[in-house]
Amino acid sequence: MPPYLTELKDKLINTQVWRSMFRGGAWKDTSRDRAQHILGNVWLHLHPARLRQRAVKFTYTWGLGGLSFFLFMILTVTGILLMFYYRPAVELAYRDMKDLEFAVSLGLFMRNLHRWSAHTMVLFVILHMVRVFLTGAYKTPREFNWGVGVVLLVLTLFLSFTGYLLPWDQLAIWAVTVGTNMASSTPLLGAEGPFSSLLGVTNSNDARFALLGGTSVGANTLLRFYVLHCVAVPFLAGVLMIVHFWRIRKDGFSAAPLPGEPPEKKMEVWPNLVVREYIGAILMLIFLVGWSVLQNAPLEELANPNVTPNPSKAPWYFLGLQELLVYFDPWLAGVKLPGLIMLGLIAIPYLDPDPKLGVGSYSIKERPFASAVFLFGVTMWFVLIAIGTFMRGPNWAWYWPWESWAVHKPLPAPTWNLILVDLDNKFGGFFTSQRTPGLRLNGWPGIGAALAAAGGIFSAYFGGGMLLPKLVKGELPFKKSLGVAAIGSLAVGVVAKTLHTFLFRFDFIGKNIPHFGLTEIFYIAAFLFVVVAMGFLLPQKYLRASPVSPLQYAITMLLLLMMLGVVLKMGARLGFNIKYIFSLPGLNLNI
Amino acid sequence: MSDDAPKPPAVPGPTVPEGLFNAEFTRRGLIAGAWGAFAAFLAGSAAASARFMLPNVLYEPSQRFKVGKLKEIPLGVTINKENRVWVIRDDTGVYALWSRCTHLGCTPNWFPADQRFRCPCHGSNFNNQGDVIAGPAPKPLWRCSVDVTPEGDLVIDKSQMENRPGFRDRGAFRVAV
Repeated sequence: MPPYLTELKDKLINTQVWRSMFRGGAWKDTSRDRAQHILGNVWLHLHPARLRQRAVKFTYTWGLGGLSFFLFMILTVTGILLMFYYRPAVELAYRDMKDLEFAVSLGLFMRNLHRWSAHTMVLFVILHMVRVFLTGAYKTPREFNWGVGVVLLVLTLFLSFTGYLLPWDQLAIWAVTVGTNMASSTPLLGAEGPFSSLLGVTNSNDARFALLGGTSVGANTLLRFYVLHCVAVPFLAGVLMIVHFWRIRKDGFSAAPLPGEPPEKKMEVWPNLVVREYIGAILMLIFLVGWSVLQNAPLEELANPNVTPNPSKAPWYFLGLQELLVYFDPWLAGVKLPGLIMLGLIAIPYLDPDPKLGVGSYSIKERPFASAVFLFGVTMWFVLIAIGTFMRGPNWAWYWPWESWAVHKPLPAPTWNLILVDLDNKFGGFFTSQRTPGLRLNGWPGIGAALAAAGGIFSAYFGGGMLLPKLVKGELPFKKSLGVAAIGSLAVGVVAKTLHTFLFRFDFIGKNIPHFGLTEIFYIAAFLFVVVAMGFLLPQKYLRASPVSPLQYAITMLLLLMMLGVVLKMGARLGFNIKYIFSLPGLNLNI
Repeated sequence: MSDDAPKPPAVPGPTVPEGLFNAEFTRRGLIAGAWGAFAAFLAGSAAASARFMLPNVLYEPSQRFKVGKLKEIPLGVTINKENRVWVIRDDTGVYALWSRCTHLGCTPNWFPADQRFRCPCHGSNFNNQGDVIAGPAPKPLWRCSVDVTPEGDLVIDKSQMENRPGFRDRGAFRVAV
């Protein structure tokens, strides 16, 4: 800086007006002044005056939490601006979107900035969670704040979801139709969910009705989502953010002290950290402005409640869920699994047996079990998103990214159920489908046999999965076992193929599984190997001897087995067209 | 105080009459009752707020509508986008399917060459009876009740629906031609 500018700056910051705005008397740029600048400022005092050097290092936090908050602020500002031109009524909303695009100066730009910031915020909140996990930063005393963070992630997704309806275009109405229909699959509270028929819940008093304000997405829904998006959810998220930040402060900030080491050297937050934050925010803003100039947020035709675009895709962060819905009944994929994922994430700090291990540094290798399971889950989620984004074309058929959607694809093969209990017609069925009746046992004995078989399958999977790692006492050599598991899985595939050739002449096998070739053997081998490696060998090596309590062990294994159950079920559907392992249509209970 | 101080004579306590409203009134009981009342108030407020979110009057399109003369309905599947139904005529009668996928509520498309309805959202497939052939839909498509006016118009009522085999093929859900 040239000397005359430095002189000018010094004069400016020592004027009475400037000093009156920042507490602390004349500015002499001493260590005390710099600390006072943080402590005496209502905005900056969220920071400590001095912070461990590791926490200031960019590659420790990657600035993800701070940038998530910055994105929230961009969204608040652009959102308020957009509200000046937007009216949440069915006749007006889409017109206002068009006006924003063509008749309002910078209207399109503001909308783009709002949309792209929202996408970026979802990504950054997820990455922030991954970072916090990998550095063990959820451990004591930060367990509660981790839970608050999980709820904030859910609210971020819900904010995106409610905002998605507001343009009132085809994209909006169908994504929201699909999303809100999941609410009607809630057990007991949703008209189409399990057991709700027992309570007299119908489509005009269930959870979906309350969300929509009607029986389908309409004027009430638009107004409801507008209020949720602009007032209710931001308010709730704001309250939780205050708690989140306050706990960060009280729990001792990022980069928790490394256990067993002497107190570390600290760094002055002003200017070192604050400058980094400003640089991060400026770079983010430049990136988003560039993106918003170069690419427009999509806006399709006016919403038509009677015609669905083909294919109809949710925004990217919900495409994993949409893809999951292909493999499961909506009450599982749309309600139970998301709920379990959320509860499971909140439970992580309480399931972790060692409150000290791997805190304050990237500790993937020190915590092989926790890291492997968590990263497996995150990867699975993004694989599902990738499938939904790149591999799905018209009629939700499988298209490789390099294939044209004009290519004709064979019709999807008929699906079948492993076990079916038909209460209305009083029979239990095995290997049944619409076209092939399968084995049928009539009367209550048949129903009893079907229920027993289903109970047997599920208790064998969950009970066996939970006991096996504990039953094998000695430590298995991990790498060798992996090899054995691979060969074993392949052998199971070959045995299944052999059985298939014998059983092929029975219609219930021959018609439901018409082809059994190398692909099917590969499916069995690959999915079985993943499940054995993740669900047996990994816990056998790491969880068996770890100091987890029996309750912690049981919950951990239950969550792990459910995650792997999702993988298995996907394999059963993709490889063998099995629709449900167990189906009880009378109570809408399909697994 | 010394131990040998004269003790006050034992006075018989107030007698407590039996019965719910005459039970002994203690401080502990009062506080428990107050907490109970507070919990009841919170539960009542939650229930009232939930009820508030359920509107009593809906401004939605009528569930009952005419779709044209019965004898002019062609053989096969007629798509009625306006009312979100498919009117289907086979050899002996006419029935109407609600064009709403039983999975998550998208509108499937009719592919005459494949003789299937295929849903664009998650890939469910149905035949023209409404039965699920492939994909994740848990139930057959709903059939709406159908009726014919004296003038010969086919009237469809979506407020009455049925999808169980057998039941859906008779009564109000099928008109003979």
